[in-house]
Amino acid sequence: MKVTVQFFSYFKDLAGMPETVVEVGEWTRIGGLLEELYREFPKLEPMRKSMLVAVGLEYQDKNYVLQEGDVVSLFPPVQGG
Amino acid sequence: MRRELRITAELIDEQALTAGRAMSHGMGAAVYFAGVVRAEEEGKRITAIDYEAFREMAERQFENIFRQIEKRWPVESIRVVHRIGVVKVNEASLWVEVIAPHRGEAFAACEFLIDEMKKVVPIWKKAVTA
Repeated sequence: MKVTVQFFSYFKDLAGMPETVVEVGEWTRIGGLLEELYREFPKLEPMRKSMLVAVGLEYQDKNYVLQEGDVVSLFPPVQGG
Repeated sequence: MRRELRITAELIDEQALTAGRAMSHGMGAAVYFAGVVRAEEEGKRITAIDYEAFREMAERQFENIFRQIEKRWPVESIRVVHRIGVVKVNEASLWVEVIAPHRGEAFAACEFLIDEMKKVVPIWKKAVTA
């Protein structure tokens, strides 16, 4: 199944693109997707500790099980204000 | 609780916003906060900050914060304006109004809103140098 991954802030530069579509197996968790993304975009790997992950408009943790059509957003710590 | 959120590339007109204040007769406190861009960021001179938002998620996350506030304090109204795009030094990037019966809860809710925003609302900044 396919999920869309969006990058924000300087993660866009690290990935070299704002968005990508990834094919993952059923029951893939966010943790598994991230490992795949680190292989494809090695510059993101050093950001793993501070990386925030959302699915749709809400934050999710690494155990979230992905579903077909999910839009996953990856970004650094937020800095509003 | 009434809430109004604007994420905008336009200048924040603080006077017009303050003039638009609406509070019922039971309310005794209106607290205002303006976050203003400083000329220095991480020890470097800057001329502006370029703000980027994941708008739909930012709106959702602000709404989540508003819900927490209305559970904790008897706030009548909150208005929030956050700039995106290039905000020059000395311009406001954030404006908040909280209206409550007493100052204690108005100050507490205002501080909570800003603290939570800085943790969960997906807005990022990039320093602009001359």
